[in-house]
Amino acid sequence: MKVIRASLTAAVLTLSLSLPAAAAELTPVDQAKAAPMSGTVLATASGQKKALDDFKGKVVLVDFWASWCGPCRQSFPWMNQMQTTYQAQGLEVVAINLDEEPELAQDFLQQIPADFTVLLDNKALLPEAFGVMGMPSSYLIDRQGRIRAEHIGFHTNKVNDYEDSIKALLVE
Amino acid sequence: MAVDLEVVVVAVTKMTSQTEQAVAEHQLTHETSKASLTMLLASAGCALLAGLPNQAQASELDNWDFDAATLIYAESDSRVTAAEPVISATRNFDSETKLNLKLALDTLTGASPSGATPSDQAQTFARPSGRGDYDIKAGEQPLDDTFRDSRAAFSATWSAPINRDWAYSAGGYLSSEHDYRSLGVNGSISRYLNEKNTTITLGGSFSSDSIDPEGGLPIGLSAMAVPGSANFDQDFSNSRQGSSDDKTITDFLVGVTQVINRRTLMQFNYSISASDGYLTDPYKIVSVIDDSSGDNYGGNYQVNGQNLYIYEKRPDTRLKQALYWQTKYQRENSDIIDFSYRFMFDDWGINSHTLDLKYRWQLGDHYLEPQLRWYSQSAADFYQRYTTASDYQNVDEISADYRLGDMDTYTVGLRYGYRMAGGSELYARLALYQQQSSGSSGFGKLKEQALYPDTTATMLTVGYKF
Amino acid sequence: MKRIAVAAALIALLSGCADLGVKPWQRDILAQPEMQLISDPVEAGLDDHIYFSKEATSGGRGFGGGGCGCN
Repeated sequence: MKVIRASLTAAVLTLSLSLPAAAAELTPVDQAKAAPMSGTVLATASGQKKALDDFKGKVVLVDFWASWCGPCRQSFPWMNQMQTTYQAQGLEVVAINLDEEPELAQDFLQQIPADFTVLLDNKALLPEAFGVMGMPSSYLIDRQGRIRAEHIGFHTNKVNDYEDSIKALLVE
Repeated sequence: MAVDLEVVVVAVTKMTSQTEQAVAEHQLTHETSKASLTMLLASAGCALLAGLPNQAQASELDNWDFDAATLIYAESDSRVTAAEPVISATRNFDSETKLNLKLALDTLTGASPSGATPSDQAQTFARPSGRGDYDIKAGEQPLDDTFRDSRAAFSATWSAPINRDWAYSAGGYLSSEHDYRSLGVNGSISRYLNEKNTTITLGGSFSSDSIDPEGGLPIGLSAMAVPGSANFDQDFSNSRQGSSDDKTITDFLVGVTQVINRRTLMQFNYSISASDGYLTDPYKIVSVIDDSSGDNYGGNYQVNGQNLYIYEKRPDTRLKQALYWQTKYQRENSDIIDFSYRFMFDDWGINSHTLDLKYRWQLGDHYLEPQLRWYSQSAADFYQRYTTASDYQNVDEISADYRLGDMDTYTVGLRYGYRMAGGSELYARLALYQQQSSGSSGFGKLKEQALYPDTTATMLTVGYKF
Repeated sequence: MKRIAVAAALIALLSGCADLGVKPWQRDILAQPEMQLISDPVEAGLDDHIYFSKEATSGGRGFGGGGCGCN
């Protein structure tokens, strides 16, 4: 009984120390790292070949996703909306699919169409370098190719923060 | 955050409702026939849904998953028959936050073993209510055929992440039948480690039960009143000690779930359960056998020319501990092997082993899942199939309930499922369940009686998930 | 002393676990509903109820874990 109480107290303490920091903060330019493997060429869902470097000079929202991931489904309509709203100001949404079988990505896109670039990384070349810790994971890259924000998962209660970060980078 | 946790700390589990939280990935699109369930849910106390206007309901229903199933359980030889419809409704708030509500009803009819031994003579037993009696022919199993009950059980479980590294669940449970009520709370907290490949879970539950048996509570070890005798009413009331009693059950569980590789998942856990209070079965009796040499050696011991039976009596505490290991593995061809082993030991002297193997054979949109289960238990220290004339006044605790004796059980089952477009699934499962008891075969005339008959039951489940 | 040994053993066990497992993007199979440890909670509940009323052992079974591991 005592042991259990002690471990729960420990749990509460650890918990209060590990609360996530506030979102919507951009990494300062001098601390930001360049997006890795930006020269790696991947097939797009529509059959072209593209690398992240092809979007240089734009603000790029890189989103790692997979067909089996529940929250990824929820993020697609929002990413469509971002692409439509901010494309003219220089935003590109680039969703990198990590399914081992590209057909699964195509099935998903049939159900939930994407109005943005979808790269197929079925050999998982990029996620390790980006340090992907959950699905989906997204990285906001500024016009100079530096990673300025990242978030794990898609949380509907945080979309305003995500959007604020995009807006801030677009006017930088 | 700390407030949530305090709730969890105080709240504690019936592990059965823990099992309702498999973190299933939520399929988004399914809509048909959910509307017809709105009424049912409303009556299940789901004001959340019922209160919404019609327009909102259509999209609200998309956030719900339902699983409706019915189990029919039938023992051979016209013994117990049970029907149990269940409906489980899960509201998904996001991929990891959900509320599960479950309602189960069951009705049970048929005869169940009273604990008495068969005899070379016909036997007459008082009904547990004290009103009337029933006769058992020579050589037949004493089954109490007044057995009939219906039960309703409701549970609610909320599970949600706290942050990326922690998740919790909290729930409540309520069940009621005409002579039994159970009220429980439960909670768990999980910590994810190693990129969520390791999950450590601490869970607990507390339940408070009350029993209000027909005819009142029998006094353990007292003699069953003789039906038809002149002092029956007097004797019957002398064998009672009030009308109801209660017990509490406290459980703790600590477990580790480990992802081994892309196709393999394992879980180990340890659980401890303490029961305290009235743990006796008020409807069970024990035969007293004549062990004095003579014509009646091995027959029922008689007092004043009438068979003597005593009410069973169990200890009023029980401490159970269990170790559990489960592995789930998906083969290259998508077939799934699910294997589990449980070892349980308690301070009643019971040890048990349970092995369970399921093989899910994937056939496109259909699947077949054969299942084998083997369970083996050793007897409780106070289990005796019968007592004797020279012993019965010296026993402190005794039960002849076959469920506390040496026993092996076997389940052989086959489940078939069909997954339809849109994510709904229709399934049926047929299983045969056999119980084989063993023990000392008695002496004298008793040797000729079947003291450990096998029981065979058929279970049929039909369900629909949508 | 004993407690320290147990804690050390637990830490060793858990760090051993760190070598096992998959990357977050390799959880496609683990995310399937049929790969959950309790893939059918309703069936599990019905079984538990039968076995609870017919055998001397109940509970001790599992809970969640594994899964999609999203977020």
